[in-house]
Parts: sequence; C-alpha cells; structure tokens
Amino acid sequence: MRLWTRLSYWFRRRRLERDLAEEIRLHGEMLEEQFAGNGTPSDEARFAAQRRFGSAMAAVEQSRDQWSLAWLDSMLRDLHFAWRLLTRQPMFTIAATLTVAFGVGANTAIVSVLETALLNPLGLRHADRVMSPRVTLEKLNMRKVETSAVEFRETQSMTDVFSAVAATEGRYWTWQVGGEAARVVGRLVTPEFFQVFGEYPAIGRFFTPEDRNSVVLSDRLWRSQFGADPSVIGRVVTLNDEPHHIVGVAPASFRFPASAQIWTPLTIEPKRMLDSQRNSVMNLGLFARLKDGVTPEQAIDRVNRHVAGVKANEGSGGNSSKFNYKIELVPFGRYIAGDLRQPLLLLWGAALLVLFTGCANIAGLLLARTATRRNEIAIRISVGATTRQIVRQLLLESLLLGALGGAAGLGLAAAAISLVTRLTIPGGTMLPLVSLNGRMLIYGFALALLSGLVFGLAPAIQLLRQSQSLELARSRRKGFQYLFVAAEVATAFVLVVMTTLLLRSLWAVQQTQPGFDPHHVTTAYTLKPKNDPGFLDRLQSALRSNPTFESATLGSPLPFSGGGFTSGFQIRNRQRSGGPMWHGEGYMVAPEYFHVLRLPLLRGRGLSSSDTPKTPLVCIVDSNFAESFFPGQDPIGEEIFMYNGWARIVGVVASSRGTTLEANSRPSVYYTLAQVWRFPSVGILVRSTAPAGAAIREAVRQTNASVAIYDVKSIEERMGETLGIRRVTSALLTTFGAISLLLAILGLYGVIAQVVSERTREIGIRMALGAHPAQILSQFMLQGARSGLLGLGLGFAAVLYAQRWVSGMLYQVEAFDIATYCAAILVILSLLLIAVWWPARRASRIDPQQALRHN
Amino acid sequence: MAISANPELLPGTLEMLILKTLTRGPNHGYGIAQHITRVSQEALRIGEGSLYPALQRLLMSGWAEAEWGISETNRKARFYKITPAGRKQLAQEVRDFDFQLAAIARVMQAV
Repeated sequence: MRLWTRLSYWFRRRRLERDLAEEIRLHGEMLEEQFAGNGTPSDEARFAAQRRFGSAMAAVEQSRDQWSLAWLDSMLRDLHFAWRLLTRQPMFTIAATLTVAFGVGANTAIVSVLETALLNPLGLRHADRVMSPRVTLEKLNMRKVETSAVEFRETQSMTDVFSAVAATEGRYWTWQVGGEAARVVGRLVTPEFFQVFGEYPAIGRFFTPEDRNSVVLSDRLWRSQFGADPSVIGRVVTLNDEPHHIVGVAPASFRFPASAQIWTPLTIEPKRMLDSQRNSVMNLGLFARLKDGVTPEQAIDRVNRHVAGVKANEGSGGNSSKFNYKIELVPFGRYIAGDLRQPLLLLWGAALLVLFTGCANIAGLLLARTATRRNEIAIRISVGATTRQIVRQLLLESLLLGALGGAAGLGLAAAAISLVTRLTIPGGTMLPLVSLNGRMLIYGFALALLSGLVFGLAPAIQLLRQSQSLELARSRRKGFQYLFVAAEVATAFVLVVMTTLLLRSLWAVQQTQPGFDPHHVTTAYTLKPKNDPGFLDRLQSALRSNPTFESATLGSPLPFSGGGFTSGFQIRNRQRSGGPMWHGEGYMVAPEYFHVLRLPLLRGRGLSSSDTPKTPLVCIVDSNFAESFFPGQDPIGEEIFMYNGWARIVGVVASSRGTTLEANSRPSVYYTLAQVWRFPSVGILVRSTAPAGAAIREAVRQTNASVAIYDVKSIEERMGETLGIRRVTSALLTTFGAISLLLAILGLYGVIAQVVSERTREIGIRMALGAHPAQILSQFMLQGARSGLLGLGLGFAAVLYAQRWVSGMLYQVEAFDIATYCAAILVILSLLLIAVWWPARRASRIDPQQALRHN
Repeated sequence: MAISANPELLPGTLEMLILKTLTRGPNHGYGIAQHITRVSQEALRIGEGSLYPALQRLLMSGWAEAEWGISETNRKARFYKITPAGRKQLAQEVRDFDFQLAAIARVMQAV
C-alpha cells in the first residue's frame, strides 16, 4: 500500500473511528429490527444483538490497527515526551536553542552571501563557464587588473578554447528624465557580451557590430522608468546629451554588473589592437565563455602558451619578461567575490567553529543530564523498552532541540541578510542581491539537525553501555565531558587569536595617515556636460564664492573612490623597446587641489591657473614617482608622455595613499584639468567645517541645472568605506570569538561544578579525615587547568593550520605573532581558572558534618 | 434462532465475496452480510467482527469506496461501492480461487 494512502488514513483516523462505530451501531439496529420482524421477543432480540457487541468492538480494534502507523504513532509519542522534557527545563532549552540558533543563523547568512558572490555568482545561469582574462604585471605590483585591447584581440582569436569573448568598460551616464538629470550606471559592451552569458533579450534584441548609439535596458530600469511598456523598443533616450535608441531589454535574471541599469555598445578603435599598444590603456574588463567540452585548465594552459610566445617574440629584453607579464583567467565567481572572498570564507569557517563549540557545549550539558536520567531509563528498560527505543528517544530529544534552534536560526539569518543587503562596502555591489533562498533554508535546517544529531550522539552512546557499573559510567562520562571542554577551549583559542590579529591590523590601518589631511573635506562627483565649455570655470567660481567653504577645488578621480587612472607612459630620452615601460596613476586636478588637501609641495612649483591649453603641457609628480623613475636625480625639467603629448615635470608633491590605506600608492602624476580632462566625470572637493553637501549641490545646480551630481561624501567616509570589509569582518569575528570563549568558560564551569556536587560526600569524608581545604581547592583547580591546557594545546595546533585563513588580511602584523599568541593563552587560561575557582572554592568550604548527613 | 458454526474461510475469500456482492450495486454492511448469508443458503454467516475489518481493508486498498446515505428502510447507512480497481482485483481473485479450488479438488480426489 502506498505510504500516502496510509498517511491520509492516519490523519483521518479519529473521524474514521467515529464513522465505523456509528456504522456498527446502525448495523445492530437493523439486526434488532430484523429479529423483531421475525417475531423474536424484543428482550431476546436485544440480547442477541448485544452479544454481538464484543465482536463489534473487536472490529473497531482491528480496523484501528489498519489505520494506524505504528512507527509514526510511537515517534509522535516520543516527540511529545521530548517536548514535555524540554519545557520542564526551560533554561536549558532556551540556552541550547539560542546556541544552535546563533551558529545556524550566522552560517546560513554567510553562506547566502557566499552563494550570491562566489558559488552561484549573481544567480547567472552559465557563470561556471565564464572566465575573466586579466593582466598581471608582477614587477609593477599590478595583479589581475583590466586589460588593454591587445589581449581582447588575442583571446578572441583563441576559438579553440573560447566560444565567445567580450570586452566591457564601466561607465556612468547622465540621463535626462523630465528636465531632471539622473545618473545611470552601466557598461559599454561589445556585441558578444550577452552571448558570453548565454542570455537572450526579454524583448527586442541585443547589440550587433553595426550598433553605435543604441542602448539595452535592464529589467529594473525598464520597470521603474517605463512601467514595463513593451513598446519602448525604438524609442530614443538622451544619455550624456546624445540620442540613443532603445533596442532591447535584458531578462530580469540577468544582473551583471549587479548595479547595471543600461548597456551600450563598445567600439574599440583598431589602432588600440596593435601589438605596440599592449599594456598602454588598460581599461577593458574581458569575459570569455569556455567552449563546450573545454576545461578551465585547458584554457589556462592555452593562454599560458600564448603568453610564452609573446615573451619569446619580444626577446629576453622585452617588457613582458621584465615585468613578468601574465594573462590570468579568473573564474567568474572569484571575479565577482573579489576582495570579499577571503573574509567570507574566513567568517564561514569561524561560524562553523562557533556552531561546533555550541554543539560541544550542549553535548556536555546533555551528558550531565544523563546522570540524573539514569533512573528513568532503568525503569523504562525494566518495563520492556528496547535499547533502540531508548536511543531513538534520546536522539529525538536532541533533534527536537536542533530543530528549534534551526527555526530560530533561520529567523536570525533572515534578519542578518536584510542588514547585509543594506551594507555598502567596496566590491559589494552584489550584496543587495543576497537573499535567503530555498537552498539556503535547506542548508540551515540540515545544519541544525546535524548539530542535534551530533550533540545527541554522546549521551546516547553513553547510555547504550548498560553493562558498565555506575562508577565506570561516571568516569567515562567525565572523560567525554573533559574532552568536549577541551574542544571548546581549542576553538575559542583559534577564534580569539584570529580576532586579535585582525583587530590589530584594523587598528594599524586606521593609524595610517593617507599623507594629506582628510578631515573636513566633502567631496562629490558630477558629470561633464556637453556644449558647455565654461562649465568648469563657472563651477569653480561658484564654489569659491560660498563664504562657508574654507577652500574648494576640482579633481578626479577623488581620493579613496577607487584609485587613479592607471596608464603607461614614456620618458623623454630613455631607451625602450616594445610597448610602454612604465605605469603610473593619472590625476587631473585644479591648481588648488594640493592646497585643499594640504598635500605639501616638496620641490618646484605647483599647477597654476596660467597653465592653459595654449601654454606648454606641464605635470606634477609625487615623491613616489620621483624615487621610482628618477632615483637620485632631479625630475624637474624632465618630460614624460602619458596623455596629450610630452609634458614637462614642474614640481614634486608628497606621495599620498589615495586608493587604500593598506598599500603604498603607485607612482602618481597630476595634470591640470585645463590641459587634460580624460574622464566624463569630475570630482568636487570642499574643505569646510560645516556640512557642505547641500551647498555643493546648490552650486552645481546654479552652474548648470542639467548636470547630475552624485556620490556626495566626506573623504573620511570614503576612507571608512575602503575599510568596510575589514571593519565588518573584524566585528563579526569578535562576536564569534567572544561567544565561543563564553561557551568554553561556561562548559568548564559546568563540568567542575557537577563533579563537585557529585562528590560532596567524598570530599566531606576526606575533610573529616583531615584534608586541608587548600588541598581540595588545588585538586579541582588542577583538574580544570588540565582540561584547559589540553584545549589550548589542541587550539595551538589548529591555529597553525588555520592562520592561512587570515594571513591575506593582516596589516603590519605577522600571522605568527608571538605576543598575540601569548596574550591569548594568558587571557583564556586566566578566564578558565576563574571559572574553575568558583566551584572549587565551594568544594573547599564543604562542611564535613553537613556533607555526611546529606544523602 | 440457532446460529450455525461459521466455517473458516480461506484468507482473502471474504474480501472476494464482498467485492462480488458489490458488483450487484452499492450496498451497506448489513445488506452485504445479509446477501452473503442468503445466497449461501445460510452456510456462510458473516459477523461484524470480520465484516468491518474486511471492508476497511477494501477501502484502504482502493478497491471500494464508501459514502453515507439512506437505506431502503430510511435509516442512515454507509454504502460501499466497488471501484474499477476493485473489479480488476475481483477478476484476479476469482481466477486464483478457481485455480486453488481445482487444485484442492485434485488433491482430495486422488487416492
């Protein structure tokens, strides 16, 4: 019989029983009637009918057996019993539930982020077949950066391993909507882009090589701006003052980049593809789709062979060999996760450790309870319960605890994820897409049940050994409990060490000075208007005329907004072969830039308003640049070619960290905006002690009302954002470390307290025979210390392995930092000793008379 | 009224008899018992103790369906109806029964 029929009967069994009883009663009535009709005296008839009563009851009984599912019934009975046990000890139940809930919640939330960022990046269907070719110039400290057009041409020709390769460029546009200027984010993409991801348009079409001023809308923009109107195809929208035809709408499931609102065609000038342009303008994000049947390893091998060929062609003196040029194929998931990958994996590991500590703790508590439950279980066995039933009962109890914790944990995870989606950290554009999907719910709940099974096993195994004597059972149980405590101490130690290392790094980073004065500077970006040649000058004077501003200037890119514009350059009168030999970060700034940021001029002169398009091109370099390319020389008067021709170096400013606080910035070159303006956007910098955001918006609006302004933030906020990952990771890891430490302390306290209460009588006898309280105290202290030391030893071994999880996130701290390790050992050990001291002192104060009378 | 000893039926035979009875049309438990008793000329008497469990088995196997209704004597009664699966089962059981009966007969007639 099929299970579901049985189950359906089982669910309806009450009603069925009523029906059957009614039916049999009616049957009896009919019989009585028949007897009456036969002329049987009514008394005799009733008697005859009632004789059948017994058999009727048997019928009901038999039928009931058919409806019921014995295993289900007894399981429900066990579950009911387990529930009653749990509600009888609410403190234990709440503590255990919260412990599991925290572990499961943290795990599920972190894995959900991991899923969106790395495992199933952005929910794209074919992401596992997409790789991003990126360039590494090891000697220039450039790793996995964007490529020049040369690599695009080359990877595209590798048709034996890639079925499609697309080049993309990130871009902002000003979008004119009803007289308002809005900023839209998106990418310029070559026609192969959508093919790489195996996507088809929801409506309309994607790009063809002939497309120029076309645009594909994201599903979100299409819904918000056009009310999902299918007739938008062919309509014209104005982007950066240029008309663009809407040719298609991407499907809702396609969200790459995560923040993209539109895509427009990217056309690459053929001359950028020439071999000599390798590494010159590196601004293309490439995405390649592996051909069916080709493994990532085969593709990597193919690319490596190609690079070896390039180096051989250039000869040993070529730049590619000199700078250790490589093309690396980054799996799409890793590309999306980026800097988040390592912290996420670290946090996942930490969350698993916390859950593990929690399980060990609950197992210890459950073991302690088995001592008190021995009677109950002995009675159940003596009235006929089998070992299997007892074990099932015990496991069911812990599974129920696990399930409770899991349900609460999933609630926690949902809350945590709603926080995560609002987090803004660099490289975290995918975070708003994180959600608690079905797979994550299953993961979380399975984890909870697994935890229940894990912490339920120890007591169950312990009770299975019926044969052992009470004393043997007790010492075995103690052995288990000490082992659990040691495991808890070990994980706590691992987490405390890692947390300390990360916190020290965070502190060191925060102490790092960027090289300029970042306080009280408000910044914003605005987009360059078309057909408004005087815009910059008028904007500057509007900013300058505001009396609340101490000083104001323009410049881009802004500090801590993602780094400079990396470009290759040449130095006049220096030999070079092949492509450009040197790379630097280009900044385009107004003359007051250095004054506003209080970036000291070391030599020569600053930029000036007399440097105009009509005067010779000049630039200023930073001291890092001077030391890298003109060691021991005066760079002033030398000429470099980065943008718009040869530029004479007229001054040297102090170097500053403008991308991240952690890394020394790359050599930088400053041009004046009047002479070189390469970006569609321009940054505004205002030094003012009063909040300046509103005033900046007003100044821009007055200058040109059709210009968008966005990303209004103080530099300190920008610096904070670059620390975002570090701060969030440190905060979470601190929480995890604290919780596991607390669990370890409670665990050890619990075991020792239990031992003391069990041995009260024995201690009393020893004291009566003359044992000194100090002896008793030290005995228990030693017992606790032994378990703690075992844990620390295990933890030390574990951290030697686990330190690799943090090593990439450390700043000015060694992964094997002796001071940190010693401090962690001392702190944990002293906390553990305090935890043990409490019950141990109680033991040493036992009054022999009372203890002997007791029991 | 004397009740004759109820000969023990082969296992499964009762279900077959019930299904056969139901091929004449829907009937309630009392009616089914009456019918079997009458047709067997009082040789087979079906007590509630075996009738109702057998009916439950038929219901759970999906060979019969039950529904409350009003009997010919205007009483509330639960009517059983044979399902297509029940008809198939009946045909199968009749074949098996004939086969078994023939086999038993052969054994009994052998000297």
